[in-house]
Amino acid sequence: MIFPTPEEYTVLVLSLKVGLLCVVISLPFAVLLGWVLARKNFRGKLILDGLCHLPLVLPPVVVGYLLLLLLGRRGFLGQILNDWFGLQIAFTWRGAVLAAAVVGFPLMLRAVRLAIESVDPRLERAARTLGANPLRAFFSITLRLAAPGVLVGSLLAFARSLGEFGATITFVSNIAGETRTLPLAIFTYINQPDGEAAAARLVLLSIILSLGALIASEAIARKMKT
Amino acid sequence: MLTLCVHRQLAEFTLQIDVTCTYPVTAIFGPSGCGKTTLLNLISGLLRPDSGQINIDDTILFHAEKGIDLPPEKRRIGHVFQDDLLFPHLNVRQNLLYGYQFLAPSERKFHPDAIIDLLELNTLLDRLPNLLSGGERQRVALGRAILTSPRLLILDEPLTALDQELKDRIMPYLRHIRTDLGIPMLYVSHAIGEILQLTGQVIVLNRGQVLAHGDFFSIAHQPKILPLIEAHGFENVLPVEVIAPNRVQYNNQTLHIPPCDRTSGTHIFIGIRANDIILCRQRPAGLSIRNALSAQVLDIVETQGRSLVYIDVGKRLAAEVTPEAIEELALKIGDPVICLIKTHAIRIGPDVS
Repeated sequence: MIFPTPEEYTVLVLSLKVGLLCVVISLPFAVLLGWVLARKNFRGKLILDGLCHLPLVLPPVVVGYLLLLLLGRRGFLGQILNDWFGLQIAFTWRGAVLAAAVVGFPLMLRAVRLAIESVDPRLERAARTLGANPLRAFFSITLRLAAPGVLVGSLLAFARSLGEFGATITFVSNIAGETRTLPLAIFTYINQPDGEAAAARLVLLSIILSLGALIASEAIARKMKT
Repeated sequence: MLTLCVHRQLAEFTLQIDVTCTYPVTAIFGPSGCGKTTLLNLISGLLRPDSGQINIDDTILFHAEKGIDLPPEKRRIGHVFQDDLLFPHLNVRQNLLYGYQFLAPSERKFHPDAIIDLLELNTLLDRLPNLLSGGERQRVALGRAILTSPRLLILDEPLTALDQELKDRIMPYLRHIRTDLGIPMLYVSHAIGEILQLTGQVIVLNRGQVLAHGDFFSIAHQPKILPLIEAHGFENVLPVEVIAPNRVQYNNQTLHIPPCDRTSGTHIFIGIRANDIILCRQRPAGLSIRNALSAQVLDIVETQGRSLVYIDVGKRLAAEVTPEAIEELALKIGDPVICLIKTHAIRIGPDVS
């Protein structure tokens, strides 16, 4: 009774896989863009900033639909990927990862950018005069000092991906074992005549997971600060 | 030897410098905002000159026409910043070794243990910077820069953030670095008293221009230099001969000074602040002040609520006196006065070379 059924187990593993991969592929971009937005001044910075934050305010369905237009089988990029590499994104778990990554990206970027902004840029300059090349100085000083913020951003994006629904169902549909993550499974059960008990179990699981992620982020951030 | 010929447009003025620094220690003196920090950043590569060139010994650090611009990490210049800029997540040992680790073993001129001993950092090695006092932090910053075996050590007002007691404690370490380690230094400060404890070789900077360059004691009395020094508490300078560990002779008058380690017969400079000089009409009796020099009033100048009385003791000195006191003493140009100086108000300067 307490242990998950095979079906629930599949849903759980898929959700965790999507969440983790979404963090892994977003992280390099968030660090790069976070650094650019925190440290560089250039024309069009506001536009770049706006574009990065767009998924935060757009209805997720719109994000999913745009992804579908771009990466669907007839989409511009989707066609290239399919013809050249035989790679399909839409209606696969890869698409679910991408949808979660796009929607969670602004949350991660915000945290990373704020963390980098809070590091005194003169420390990096001091590192340069001590013989560190720019990359070394960035990783050993700035990124290391921003690490708590980067971690918080990653966990936020992870938690957001666990809850991602609209973009996912629009872009990759609701395919059991392929794209049916926790929220989609809950949605499916609720729509079944006698699925309420099953839905309730998944709801509980979902609460535990999200709460766990938030508590972990807080605990680790606190530990890294001292 | 550092050769500088640089031009850089700043918000309020143009920095235009063309000097050669040959001495073991050269000081750059000037008021706040004169371009000192900018100049150091140009030398260490943190800022790029608009044009010109920078050479150190035989190495070109920057050459606009040839398109040479070594990045900071290739310049081998130890930069000690005004705020120590220690890395907060690294302990003292890791901070000290941060630059050292990038050097090939053949490039390492100093052993970390030797520098740790010299700067007396042994008991602090495992601490994080936020648990250090201001003076300790500045010593770690010094050690960190020295351990990169720099060709030149540039110090940007390293003592400004410290109180007087700490300044006096750090200064001997700086003299050690100068004398024992043989690293050429460029020392930036707006306090002439600090500079004179290290060197007499000074570049005076104002609004991005070199006003004068050379031995402080031969340029200090130039009309364009004097106001700059006065703006920061005039430091009177006298060449004297040491006759005992705590006494010097000047024009047949003996002055008591704080104990110094110079041998008798050495000629040194001493510095006295204008507001540490007291003027009186008659030689007073029953006074704890040991130093009383006979002098003559040369000039009385009042500017911005301060009155400076210039007196002649064989050399021109400035004394700061309130306008009321001038009135009460009825001081006039040509009057004989006695000038009193507390022993501990006298700063020991470098040897007369």
